[in-house]
Amino acid sequence: MTVGLVLDLVLVTAVLVSAGLALFVPGRVASVMMFLVFGLVLAVVWARLGAPDVALAEAAIAAGVTGALLLDAVTERPRRGPDRRVGPRWLMPLLGAVAGAGLVVLLGAAALQAGPVEPGTGLGPTVLDRTDDSGVSHPVTAVLLAFRAYDTLLEVAVLTLAVVVVLSLHRDGRLETVPAPGAASPVPDALVRLAVPVIVLGAGWLLVAGSSRPGGAFQAGALLAGALILLRLGGIRLAVPTGRWLRPAVLVGLAAFLTLGYVTVALGQGWLVLAEPWQGTVILLLEAVLTVSIGACLAVLFVAGRRPAAGTGRGEEP
Amino acid sequence: MTDGDVFLLLGVGLAVLGTVRLVLTGDHLRRVVALNVAGSGVLMVLVAVAYRSNPEEPDSVLHALVLTGIVITVSVTGLALAMVRRVERDEQDRQASHE
Repeated sequence: MTVGLVLDLVLVTAVLVSAGLALFVPGRVASVMMFLVFGLVLAVVWARLGAPDVALAEAAIAAGVTGALLLDAVTERPRRGPDRRVGPRWLMPLLGAVAGAGLVVLLGAAALQAGPVEPGTGLGPTVLDRTDDSGVSHPVTAVLLAFRAYDTLLEVAVLTLAVVVVLSLHRDGRLETVPAPGAASPVPDALVRLAVPVIVLGAGWLLVAGSSRPGGAFQAGALLAGALILLRLGGIRLAVPTGRWLRPAVLVGLAAFLTLGYVTVALGQGWLVLAEPWQGTVILLLEAVLTVSIGACLAVLFVAGRRPAAGTGRGEEP
Repeated sequence: MTDGDVFLLLGVGLAVLGTVRLVLTGDHLRRVVALNVAGSGVLMVLVAVAYRSNPEEPDSVLHALVLTGIVITVSVTGLALAMVRRVERDEQDRQASHE
């Protein structure tokens, strides 16, 4: 018990210190680095709180893909432009501290009252009772793709929409003008050769494992995105679709999900309601398509943030 | 106070810290970082509520919600960073053309 207490204390301190540094350390680069540390500590916290699915997703998506996005942004502009300050130097920090303290007290008191406090209440037990009816044996996957599949559909739609908006910042909504690192690749060739097969294998394992244990399409998709980004940075230009295959790759997940919804309606089962005996297979197939699409979407988000080659960006003078 | 409560309050603290920094900093890129920290705080509240109700078998509905939240966060982050970089590039180009 005491060892657990000490570990908790270390975790809480690590979270607070890394978050505080990420937010308040001077300098963009240091802030982004501390945020990456924060993400890794968070993954440990999720595991500590009995949420291995969330821990995997945090490590792969939040610390992995978000880290790549932030690092790429901060390398392009390590320093920010001149600041416009309002009022005297001490005013804004003081206001922030007062407002923050008030919010912590109010929200903290409210949060302590929230949620099912007694064991055996809430939706958790219901899900555990009904997981066997869903076609998969892992409760989180059952919630994501059977009981609340509508949420997951909208989540895929949000990701797709984000990619569509980012693409609209580029000429013709395509990414062929974004230069890929060629001979001057920042990633050693050997690392790419060694890491990518292992990452892809891991993604496949996470995808299949998601039916019966922690894992699933989103964690697998994030790993796949990592592999694609690594390949592109390693000089393999075609790894991330930028031309003809860009739109199909981004849209296939949402399209498959919607098609499944319409098929289930046409079969008279109701929107996204899957029935015996195919439901397990259908969920796995849908997850496989989602993995590819999520991987492509996240990799495209990374590529689309980069600067297009000179003279080809929209909005520049001819 | 149980261990679940400690992480619940930690989540609240993170959400508030991130929000305050989000409002008070003028640096676009650091706003994105602050938004991510605040979002993580909210997710921690959800995970802590799931853990508090039953530490042996936490509520999987809340875990699924948090997974959704993580994917939404990375979508928003990617979009925000692309816009921030575009805005700063334009500022830089404008400064360069003035000089």
